[in-house]
Amino acid sequence: MAEVQLNEVTKTFGSFHAVKDVSLQFPEHTTTCLLGPSGCGKTTLLRMLAGLETPTSGSIKIAGHDVTEWPARRRDIAMVFQYPVIYQGLSVFENIALPLRELKLSKAELKRRVEDAIALLGLERSLNADPERFDNGTRQRVSFARAVARQSSIILFDEPITNVDPESRFRLKQDLKKITEGLGQTIVYVTHDQNEAMTLADQIVLLKDGEVLQQDEPRHVYDHPKQRFGGWFLGSPGMSFLEHSFNPAEGSRLQSDLFPFPIRVSDPDAVGEKTNLRIGIRPERLRVSPMPMPDAAKGSVKRKFRGVAGQYLVAIQLTKHLIWAKVANELGKKLSETVWVKCDLDAVTIFDDREQALSCRLVRLEN
Amino acid sequence: MFEIELQNISKSYGSTTVVDGLNLGFESSRFSVVLGSPVSGKSVLMRLIMGLESPDQGRILFHGRDVTNEPAGSRNFGYVPQSFALYPHYRVFDNIAYPLALAKKNKATIQEQVQALAHKLKIDQLLPKYPNQLSGGEKQRVALARGMIKDSSVFILDDPLVGLDFKLREQLFVDLREMLSEIEGSVIYTTSDPLETLALADQVFVLDDKRIIESGSIDQVYDEPQQIRSLQLLGVPAANFVSGELAGRICQTPFGPCEIEVAEEIATATPVQLGFRPEAIRLEKSAPPFLSADGRVLLQEDLGAETLLYFESASSRLVAYWSNAEPAPITGERFRFGIDPRSFHVFDPKTGTRLTRSKDCALRQNQTTHSAPAGSRSRPGMSASAALGRSSECEGDLATGTS
Repeated sequence: MAEVQLNEVTKTFGSFHAVKDVSLQFPEHTTTCLLGPSGCGKTTLLRMLAGLETPTSGSIKIAGHDVTEWPARRRDIAMVFQYPVIYQGLSVFENIALPLRELKLSKAELKRRVEDAIALLGLERSLNADPERFDNGTRQRVSFARAVARQSSIILFDEPITNVDPESRFRLKQDLKKITEGLGQTIVYVTHDQNEAMTLADQIVLLKDGEVLQQDEPRHVYDHPKQRFGGWFLGSPGMSFLEHSFNPAEGSRLQSDLFPFPIRVSDPDAVGEKTNLRIGIRPERLRVSPMPMPDAAKGSVKRKFRGVAGQYLVAIQLTKHLIWAKVANELGKKLSETVWVKCDLDAVTIFDDREQALSCRLVRLEN
Repeated sequence: MFEIELQNISKSYGSTTVVDGLNLGFESSRFSVVLGSPVSGKSVLMRLIMGLESPDQGRILFHGRDVTNEPAGSRNFGYVPQSFALYPHYRVFDNIAYPLALAKKNKATIQEQVQALAHKLKIDQLLPKYPNQLSGGEKQRVALARGMIKDSSVFILDDPLVGLDFKLREQLFVDLREMLSEIEGSVIYTTSDPLETLALADQVFVLDDKRIIESGSIDQVYDEPQQIRSLQLLGVPAANFVSGELAGRICQTPFGPCEIEVAEEIATATPVQLGFRPEAIRLEKSAPPFLSADGRVLLQEDLGAETLLYFESASSRLVAYWSNAEPAPITGERFRFGIDPRSFHVFDPKTGTRLTRSKDCALRQNQTTHSAPAGSRSRPGMSASAALGRSSECEGDLATGTS
């Protein structure tokens, strides 16, 4: 069992900076998801951990040892790839056992480890079938079993459930839960799918353009994004943003088309100078009604369609801004043209014009 | 009259039949989505419409005119194929202009048309760049522009977002409607993704087992699917199914007996499949006529705004939607839930067709005009459709597409 540390790790490919000066810690027994869009550097980071790439600068430590220059096979790491690996012509048992052969285990120990992995992944009934004929989901479960049987202190997963059908995806997520919660290994999991990260991770590392934007528990990253990017990237759809000019020299008042009453910024000093503030609001935090409500902003429905579990996503045009709201099926059906939108002041996050979240809040200004 | 109509189309490759006696009609100025599983033959269907493949049997009509034997060039539809490729050594401008250059348009026309379209699609600033300087989303927009540059009234987009990152896809399918609303004309779009379908479609056509098994407005197909496959394919997460037994109006379900509004009463007890959506499961305490039962959570998926609960009940694996207004039960926990029997979609397991009465169909039958029920669009020309989709099913021909 091992803690993993990255110290100021940079990786360049020619003039391209894939990973820029990243320092991270992956505590023992925890599952960390490296989350971000294509090209954010998450896979390069994982490959450096595995020893498949060498950092251009910086160091990697596992359980206190500097492993930066160690070859992959010395690192006591198991890895599961996006496309499941199946060794041709070998049975399911042998597919799982193959990497154990070089560990020089006793016959009984090898058998026990493979059988434990088979039981954990529920592969008993597939043992006599030809693994080359499995669907992608079952193939990937064989890969999971191979990684588990190795009993390495670290398991790395590189988007392992991207290429399977929805039914297998559910099954694999359940299996991943068993592995992450049951075995106590240090797990690093790369994905571009925020839902996977939210479901599987103890902590999320949000990456963009080779840099770490935030490292926190999933719910915290969702509720308290440190940058505008996190507010947008997590959630489907993510936050809507309302841009307002703000000048602390003229007092703390702020005009927003989301709030039809006077408001102010709780701590104008936190903003500093004259700037554009962006108010971020999650679609599910808005209350929408076809009837007027007190303290609600009037808007008009620009578009609506259904999404997850039939809930409606409604694009609402306020005086200046277009915002997205998520409303229940029955209510969504009734919305057309004019609507009223109500938002709790503490439901918003305020970002400055460098896209950083500010610690200040919105407060109602009593007349 | 339909803008494009396919009549009794069949196409085989060797011993593999991809479409078999397929009928469908696309109306003009609509966003029509063909929804089908990844190997259902959507691309072949699009290539048949384009004229890139010829059917073994059947006719293709364009505004009533038989174009079955006309080459792709004379049909002149815009086309974005599934695996789009930009020419890496051409600038974005020339990539978009390529179909016009191929048609030997003069330079001034090309310049003008590319600029105008780029402006509409908000990609003006990309024109001087090379493809390797673009992000994934920008490349996709350029590929779309190239498919739309032709002066055409029909644009065919064959699963254009497949294989992109989740977030990029989400952004594009939110933006795509707006981008396309700038272009006058009809869009025919294929996908296997239910979220894309829900976000984009005016009309949805469910392609399954070599035919269009059902078509209608997106609300009609979502709320009252006429085919079990439609319920399976359209919705996220996928709908729940359990077995039951129907006699008259009384249905025995794993959660207890209930009354079902059936289209036609069958006196003898008949095995049925009951489908219900994740949002039909109520987690608060519910009184009769709601059915209720116990479940045990297998996996809790927090999507941020909502939680999906995968659970076990009545020896079935089910999924429920839980709004995050209050904490959801955790993995391993037992909880009690309710289902409104009115939310059951009851199907004949042998034919896969709907047995539950459809309000929508009843409503439409009572109407002399073709103004559609609330929430869906008017459907001009539906009476003219000979053997298609829902309207004929409503008139009693339940075997359409499955016999």
